[in-house]
Parts: sequence; C-alpha cells; structure tokens
Amino acid sequence: MKQIKFTGLLAGLGGVFAAALITGLAWIPAHADPPTAGVAQTNNVAATTPAVAPLAAPAVRHHLTGAELYSIHCNRCHPERYPTERTAAQWKTIMLHMQVRANIPVQQSRLILKYLQDNSGR
Amino acid sequence: MQMKTNVIRYGMVATTGLLCLAQPGQVRAEVSDADFNALKAAVQQLSDQVQSLRQTNAIEAQTHQADLQQIQDLRSKLAETQQTAADAEQKSTAVAQIQSQPPPRAPIDEATVNHNFQILGDAEFQYQKVDGQSGGFLLADFAPIFLYRGGDNILFEAGFDTTIQNGGTAPVNSGYGTTFNLSFAQLDYVVNDYVTFCAGELLLPLGTYSQRGAGWLNKIPDDPLAVDELIPGTGVGAELQGAVPLGETGQFVNYAVYGVNGPSSSDGTGNAASLDLGGNVGLRSDGAVASLNGKPSGGARVGYFVPFKPHYDLEVGVSGMAGEWDNAVDSHIWSAGVFDAALHLGPNFEAKGEFILSRYGSDDQGEVTQQGWYAQAGYKLAGLNLELPGINNMELIGRYDSVHDGLNPSVQRYTAGFVYYITNTLLFEGDYEFLHTQDPSQTDALILQISYGF
Repeated sequence: MKQIKFTGLLAGLGGVFAAALITGLAWIPAHADPPTAGVAQTNNVAATTPAVAPLAAPAVRHHLTGAELYSIHCNRCHPERYPTERTAAQWKTIMLHMQVRANIPVQQSRLILKYLQDNSGR
Repeated sequence: MQMKTNVIRYGMVATTGLLCLAQPGQVRAEVSDADFNALKAAVQQLSDQVQSLRQTNAIEAQTHQADLQQIQDLRSKLAETQQTAADAEQKSTAVAQIQSQPPPRAPIDEATVNHNFQILGDAEFQYQKVDGQSGGFLLADFAPIFLYRGGDNILFEAGFDTTIQNGGTAPVNSGYGTTFNLSFAQLDYVVNDYVTFCAGELLLPLGTYSQRGAGWLNKIPDDPLAVDELIPGTGVGAELQGAVPLGETGQFVNYAVYGVNGPSSSDGTGNAASLDLGGNVGLRSDGAVASLNGKPSGGARVGYFVPFKPHYDLEVGVSGMAGEWDNAVDSHIWSAGVFDAALHLGPNFEAKGEFILSRYGSDDQGEVTQQGWYAQAGYKLAGLNLELPGINNMELIGRYDSVHDGLNPSVQRYTAGFVYYITNTLLFEGDYEFLHTQDPSQTDALILQISYGF
C-alpha cells in the first residue's frame, strides 16, 4: 500500500511540474513564428500559392518541406492519402484533426497543410 | 531659292540680248547671217533652258509637296502608334492588377454547404474461425468520425462505433447483437504553436495505440491484449498537449498532461475484480448510477520523435496515469506506466511496441501487479522489387504480445498475418493467432477482415 501511495505521490508531483511547464508554454502568444507565406489562414483557399515542393535530400538543406513532412508523418500511422482526394478546405479540417491526434508541431502541420492544399483536388 | 536665282539670271541675260537686237537703227553694224543664226541659236538654246528649268522647278515643287504630305502622313501614323502603345500599357497594367488579386469565388450557399464539416472513419467486416468451433462472419463495424472546425484553431471531433456482432447479448433470442458506442468526443482549441487544450471524452495518451489505432489502421484485426486489458483507452476530462520542434530537421518533443475521471469500481466495492478502467461513472451499491469516486486521475506523456529522412524515423515515449479507483473508506490507488516505441526503416518496414506496467490496491487481493507488452513488425513486399502479380500490394505482419493481469492465468499470443492493399484505403487482412495460456476458453483463431478507411 505504501508503495502504491508513493507512486501516486510521485505522479502528483510530476503532474504539478508538468502543469507549471505547460502553463509557461501557454503564455506564448499564438503564432510565435510568422505564418509561412501562402498558407491559408482562413477558408480562402485561393490565397495559397500553387507550387509543388519537390522532394530533395535533406543532407543539402536543413529546412524540411511540406512534401517531406507529409512523407515523414502521414505514413507513420496509415497509408498515405493522395492530396487530390480532398479539397483545400477539407484538408484544413483534416490536418487540424491529425495535428491533435498525432501531436505533431503546429509549424510542421502548417507546412504539410500547404503542400496538401497546393496539390488538392480543387 | 538657288533655283530661282538662276532663273532670274538667265532671264536677264536673255533680255539683254534681245534689247541689243532691238536697237539696229542706232548702231549700224554689219551682221552676217552666220552671226545672226548663231545668236538666234543661242537665244533659242537659252529659251529652251529656261523652259527646262521651269519644268524642273515645277517637278521639284510637286516632289516637295509630296514629301510634305508623306511627312504629314508619317506623323499621323506615329501619333496613332504612340496611342496604341499607351493603350496597350494601360491594358497590361490593368491585367497585372487583376492577376495579382485572387480570382472571384463563387458564392457559397451557407445554408446547404458547410465546408468546415468533415466525416472520416472506417468500416470493417470480419470472419473468424476459432479452433474447435465452426467459423462464421463475426462482426460488421462502422466507425465514423465527425469533425467540425470552427475557425482556424477550434475543432470538435467525435467518433462513434456501431457494431453488429455474432453472438451478441442483445436483443435476446437473436444470434446477433448491435452495439452503438461513443468512442471519443472532444473539443480541441489550439492556444498557440505549443499548447492545445482538449476537453471531453479524450483518447488517452497512454502509449500511442489508443490514439492512433482506429480499425483500418491496425495491421492486425485484434488489439494487443495488454492494451485492451490493462489501460483505459478513453477518459472524460481535460488535457493540455503540444509539441516543441528541435531545430529544423524535423525532430520534436511532444507532451500531454491531463486530468480525467479515471478508473472506477464497477460495483462500488474495492474488490480487485471490480476494477473498471472505463470510468468512474457506474452502478452504486444502492442501485443508482452515479460518480463512484470524487477524485479524478491524472496522467502525462512525453515523447521524442526524430526523422532521419522521409520514411526513416524513430519515436519513443513514456507515459503514466494514476488516481484513486474506488470510493471505499480506505480508497485504493490505480497507476499505470507505459513505454512505447515505433521505428520506420524505409517505406516498407515498420516495427513498434509498448510495455505496460500497472498496479492497484484492492480490499480482497491486496496489491495487484499487472504487466504486458507487445512488439510487432511489418514488411511490405514491394521492397523486394519482385515482378510477381499482386506481390507488391502485400505486407507481412508478425506480432508477439502477452498479458498478465494478476488475477487470471497469463496469456501469450503469437500472431502471423498479412495485409493486402487493394487500394490505399481498402485492405484485406488476415492472420492466425497462436495462444499459449492455461485458460481453456482462449484458443487459436483465424481471422479474415475487410477494412476500409475513409
């Protein structure tokens, strides 16, 4: 019983520490990084820039493209879905769902969304 | 002007000559016929030259007039050309301005079209043949996920699971039973790039299987035993989660901290067998359905993800959850810890697994320790580059999993199976499960399943 209570106490302390950390993070203003150019912030899908980011070896470039992040993340859980399967507006809703479900960084989610919207069905 | 001077000069010479000829009375001189004829010829020549000059002058005047006219025409044409160029420039500027603006969008009838609403989900149809029994179509499952995005940062998502299953419990006297469950229902608010607030019935981040294990995503139809039996999949409460990128190479650390109702007692007692991982709302000893304890559980997960290049990555995570599970006078604590890992080596190889350790106190069994784990690997035969029909759509899967719940005989299971990708969302799965246990009710089984993700 003591061990169990100790485990609970430990979990409680861990929770308090984590809550303090998260509270600090929560004070960071929304969009700490400037939004990437061309990424739709609203339903105005026409504002996106129609450009396909080609895959390239990361060895020569440190900034991952939306296409690379799409290849990295989507296939981890399910077969890759073709960008043309959904419209730009649909991808925006789906990517918000996937961002939460897979708990991936918002910045990376934006780049993937831009890639999907640029190559979406409509 | 030079031409006119010459004409006058020649005219004066000719006039002087004529005047001299007109004074014969005053100057008496002998003029021979030859001289007279010579002079006459000279005068005639001069007259011809004057006439020729006049003609030349007239022609040149006409030419000059024509030149003036041509110059006037050219000036007119130049003016027209300049006007045309100015018009073209104006039009070009106008076109550039129009092209720089987004094209006009067709008006959307908001009453009938809502592009923020989306349905995802999956459906399964399963055949099962248990060793020693006759086989049959075991279940059909439809599991839609409804998404509604309210703006850029708010999402409501809810998953339902409707199953008709052979040998179900209701309705009575029927070979089939239908169940309808709310798998999860949560509101997500993206506070900023690093924090997302979630509330509702949450898919708990105890490991990753519960959050990322929808029916068609599981390469093996059955869930790992330990995931099903030792940890809750969902909980009603609130959560903060997020991810922090590490550099520009795609690495990140993600976290989740949550408080939920947590496990409870199915009958209000503190007996070990009464542990109900589903939540603390249940049937009290007085027959009422109510919250069975007032102290929520808390949990957290920290994960680290590193991609080496597309399709090559590693994710590891540690998670835990603890809380009182009953409302006895001397209440007991339930706690669980999970270590999870997933590895991808190319587009064709995947390995992942979880280790789960759980403990809880009870009135009748004292401290109960549970543990289990699973490890599975899959390889897509497309990686062999074989030109055989259908081979490139096949993935072979193997899994080992075990569970020891502290109350019943432990179970070990070996599973060998395959996934045939008819399309990227329509899958035909099959596996054979070899069970090792002292529990006679659990035997080997063959499972075939059609899965569709949408």
